[in-house]
Parts: sequence; structure tokens; C-alpha cells
Amino acid sequence: MTAGPSRGRRYVMLLLLLCGFSVILFRLVTLQVFQAAELTAKADRQHQKTVSFEGARGMVSDRHGKVLAMNVEVPSVFGVPTSLDSPSTVARHLSPVLHIRSDELVRKLQQDKSFVWLARKVEPEQGRRLEQLSLDGIGVVMEGRRFYPKGPLLAHVLGFSGMDGQGLEGLERRYDSHLHGEKRVTVLQRDALGRTVFPKGLAEQVPTPGHALTLTVDEVIQYIAEKELEDAVTHTHAKSGTIIVVEPQSGAILAMAVSPRFDPNVVAALSPDRWRNRALTDTYEPGSTMKMVVAAAAIEEKVMTPDSMVFGENGHMVIANTTIHDHDKLGWMTFSEVIQKSSNIGAAKTGMALGEQRLYRYLQAFGFGQRTEIDLPGEVSGLLKAPKAWGRRSLASISMGQEVGVTPLQMVSAVATLANGGVMMKPYVVSEVRDQKGRLLKEVLPQVKRRIVSQDTARTMTTMLEGVVTNGTGTKAAIPGFRVAGKTGTAQKIDSRTGAYSSTQFVGSFVGYVPAESPRLAMIVVLDEPQGEAWGGAVAAPVFRRVGEQVLNYLGVSREDTVKIALAMKDH
Amino acid sequence: MKMLTILGGVLLAFVFVWERVDVVRLGYQIERLKTQKILLERERDQLQVKFSALTAPERIAKVATEKLGLVPPQQGQVLMVHQTGDGPGLSLPPAEQVRLARHVTTGRVSE
Repeated sequence: MTAGPSRGRRYVMLLLLLCGFSVILFRLVTLQVFQAAELTAKADRQHQKTVSFEGARGMVSDRHGKVLAMNVEVPSVFGVPTSLDSPSTVARHLSPVLHIRSDELVRKLQQDKSFVWLARKVEPEQGRRLEQLSLDGIGVVMEGRRFYPKGPLLAHVLGFSGMDGQGLEGLERRYDSHLHGEKRVTVLQRDALGRTVFPKGLAEQVPTPGHALTLTVDEVIQYIAEKELEDAVTHTHAKSGTIIVVEPQSGAILAMAVSPRFDPNVVAALSPDRWRNRALTDTYEPGSTMKMVVAAAAIEEKVMTPDSMVFGENGHMVIANTTIHDHDKLGWMTFSEVIQKSSNIGAAKTGMALGEQRLYRYLQAFGFGQRTEIDLPGEVSGLLKAPKAWGRRSLASISMGQEVGVTPLQMVSAVATLANGGVMMKPYVVSEVRDQKGRLLKEVLPQVKRRIVSQDTARTMTTMLEGVVTNGTGTKAAIPGFRVAGKTGTAQKIDSRTGAYSSTQFVGSFVGYVPAESPRLAMIVVLDEPQGEAWGGAVAAPVFRRVGEQVLNYLGVSREDTVKIALAMKDH
Repeated sequence: MKMLTILGGVLLAFVFVWERVDVVRLGYQIERLKTQKILLERERDQLQVKFSALTAPERIAKVATEKLGLVPPQQGQVLMVHQTGDGPGLSLPPAEQVRLARHVTTGRVSE
């Protein structure tokens, strides 16, 4: 019995097995240790898919809960080019539904990609028609689309959001952190055939929607302002226009209308110039409306009283080798008449009586040269130079509303201060922020900025400004049955070619409040470059009257001559 | 006794299987209802957008003036009537002072 050959075979077998196991072990170590990270990532890429879900953007509504902006889920159409046999046939079917040219669709569908967007956020009806077509390699997913159901109403304040739901302009941008929905990234497993296996409980993990905003704006007042502004811009052939309506006691913006308007539902085709909120991004030389501020400062400082006599120099006065003109040859007049007749010479003399430092201090106090800090993006601070940069004529010029740049919002805040008894309020647009369950997260209360003039001064100014409307340059702003206080302004624009004041380009404006004895609204009307008669009293004051009368009717404010009818309800 | 035990065991097995089947059935029903809820919420949102668009002041004014022939009240045509409740008498002002729009004829208001 010999064990040699069989023993030898055993050794050979053992050796072979050892070699085999060594190779396996080597491969195992290579795969599991040295290439582990790389291979794991590769495997994950094959059987995992990362998708992001985003909650709906929050709703925006006016002070009475009327919806101004909201999200609706609409279909988005995608294609899977790698699974298409005949892109041109598919494109021919899609083209009439999506309203996209067939050759453009073919170009997208011929790409060497496994996914391409064909049309995003289309109308629900288009999605339904596509589902009926049931084309292979074409799919529909639902995405949130921002709708502004009132079209252009309040567009400059609301702004708009982008295709991916990010706020781009206006309130949509300013309050983006509140409005945008929660973003949630989820890893989904895919099976051997590439189908998605949703993790358990995914349906319960719906991302939280964004917060809802309630505005101080009233959509009816906004509509009245926009309608009247559009009419005025059309009739006067002005380049643009602005109306702001403020509640003087709180600083709440009731309306902010800008012309030309735009529809935030279709912004892609418009230039940025169209959606700029001129009420706070554009500055203009206010002209005579600034005399109201100078007068308030002079009365507060007891430099003038309404009965102080001022000589009008018969319409001509030379200051620093330049001549200041009045449109009438005015002689002696009371300070009230200076404001009523909007005398440039009277205002210049008042400014000189105040002196540089005092005038500058009041201009700053009234908010010129600084932002109002309204909760809207893009606000500019305007232009107000410090006295050390003033020229020899500056004191007189600034008193007449030249050499300063203001925004319509700054000017209406100044007049609202007088309407509010001398106390300046911070203007604001958003009054409440609520979560998706309606719980109050943030309430914005009226905020006092500072007292600028005393109540007595504000009362005196009201009487003087009423004189402007009853006997002065602003008679066209008068609203029957109500006492109106206000001031007209007509400012020459700087001609960009010559650098001098233009004789054909003006800004006509009117600022005021009503009812004067107990103001419910302060308002500014600004028309940029009206053609023909450009006086603020002729073009802007009538707009103030039309808006004011309609808004007071809407608010149910009684006329002075209101008949109070007593009804004995208990008998009925 | 043995028969009863076997019968009880079979019954338990049936109950267990029925319970499992019912859980699956209810699961499908829940999924169906969730889908229905999403579709209804979507429809609600679309209707809300439509409602908001239809009640826009601009549209109402257009329908009122162009379709119904109404006109905005002119200066002095609106009077606020306040109820004070401290008197039994009803004293209306003279008719010429109360200019209320009563009839609409071809787009113009006649008093």
C-alpha cells in the first residue's frame, strides 16, 4: 500500500486551493478595503436617486384677505430622449399642445440625455391633453406655479418670483425667507429595473408650505389709485406717474400705484425698467411741495407766523448773481399767502430767515436724504447735501424745492407727519405673517419714528395748506363736502444734454391729506413730464380729488354736510 | 378536545390571514384617499385663483360699466347715512339734496 502518489496529489490539490483562496482573498481585500469607498459610491449612484421636494410658496393677501398672489400646482412636461424611437413623430404630436415649434422640440429630444425639460409650468388643460395623448418617453410632473390673480394690480409692490420659486422683485424678494416653502431632499431607492421604490412614510413627509403675508394695502383703494393714475398718464401723455395713499396715524400704505403697469404673470418679455417701483427707487426735485416743509420749520422755530408779512419783490429777486422769479408780480403778502400762491421769493426769504443749519436739520428730520426703511427692496435715500457743500444760492434753491432729490415715498411721509399732528410714522406694507395653519408669527404694529413739529405747528400748517386748496394753486384738489389740505408742486427737470433746467420737461405733483380736521388719508400724486399744461395744480391736483373722493366714499367717511338720519330701530 | 384545539388553530390562522389582507386593503384605500385629497386640494387652489381673478375690482368695474350699463356715482351723488338711534323721527333732506341714482338708462344715471 503506497501513499506517495495520492499524498502528492493531495499536496497539489492543497496548493491549488491555497492559491485559489489567496486570489479570492486578495480580490476581496482589494474590493472591500482599497476600492470600498469608490465602489460604494458607484453602487449608490445605480440604485439610489436624490430628489428634492419644496413646499408651496406662501399666499399674499390684502388687508381684507383678498388673494393677491398664490401658488397652484400645474403640469411640467419632460422627455426621455434615450427611450424615443422617433423624436420627430413625438414632436409633431407635442407641438400643437405645448405651442412650441416642432423643430425646437426635435432638437431637445435628439440630445443624448436621459432627461430634458420640454415645457415647465404649463396650463392644467395642456397637461390633461398630454395625458390623453399618452406618448412613450414623455412625462408630466406637477410643480408649483406662482399666480397673481389680479393681474397688474399692485404689481410693483408684489414683485414676482422666478421659475424655481425664488423671490426676484418686490415683496416676493424682500420676504422670500418667509414666503418660500421648506426644501426637503430625500434619497429614494431604485429597483433592478430602475423603478423608484418610495421609502415608507414619504407621503407623511410633505414639506411645509411657506408663510402667508397680509398687507396693509386695500385692493379697492389700490384699484382706484391705479385707474385714476392710468387715466391721468394717458390724458397728459406723461412718461410715468406715481400715487401713494397712506394712513397718517399708522404709516400703513393703503395704495402704491405706479404707471406704466405690468403683469407679474408674464414678466419674461419685459425690461427691468418696467417693473421698477418708482415710488421708492426714483428721485425727483420736488419743487414747490418742499415749501410746505420749509414753512413747518419756520413756524415751529417761530421765524414766521401765518400773519407775518413778506414782500414778494414784485416777482424778481437777485440772489448770488441769479434771478429768482415768481409767476405773478407779488408785493406784500402774509406768510399764509406765500404758501397759497406758492411764491418762490417768499419761500427763499423764509429759508434765509431759518438759516442753513436749521433748515438742514428740519429737512433731515422730515426724512429727506435717508431711507424711510419701508419693508420693500430697492429704496434709495434721495439727495440732500450737507450745508458745507451748499453754494451761495443753495439756501434759496432748496427752500423752493431745487437742489434736493426726493422719492415720492419720502414726500408723502413728510405730509403724513403734518396730518398726524407732527409725529412721523414708519411706512410699512406687511402687517402680518402667518404660518400654514393660520398661527400668527409676526405682527407689525405702527411704529413712531419721531416727533418733528408740535401739534400746534401741525394745526397751523393744516390751516395754511387748506388755504392752498380753497384760494391758492391747488383749487382743483378740492373735494366737495370735505376740508382738504395740500400743496402743489411743479419742478423743472434737468435736461441731460445741457445740464441746465429744461423749459419743456416738468414734474407736476400734489401732496395733501383729507379730511383736514381729522385726516383719514395722506396722498401724493406725481406725474413725470406731462405734456401741455404741466402745473401740478392743473395735472396732479384733479387726480388727488378724484382718488380722494372715491376712497372717502369707499371708506364711508362722512361729508361735513352729511345728513344724519335718526332711525328708531326698536320700533321696526 | 383535540378537534376543538385544531379548529381553534385553524380559526386563528384564518383571522391572522384576514387581518393581513385587510391591512393591505386598507393601505391601498388610504393611498387612494391621499391621492384624491391632493387632487381636490389642487382643484381648490385652481378655483381660488379663478375666484380671485373673477372678483378683481378691475373686472367688476368692467362688467358693471360695459355689460350692465352702470356708471360711477358723480360728485355729490353719494351720501353717508348714519344711524344715531336717538330719535323716533325720520327726517330726510329735500329731494334736490338727495341725488340718488335710481334709474339707469342707456348708461347714464337719471335721478
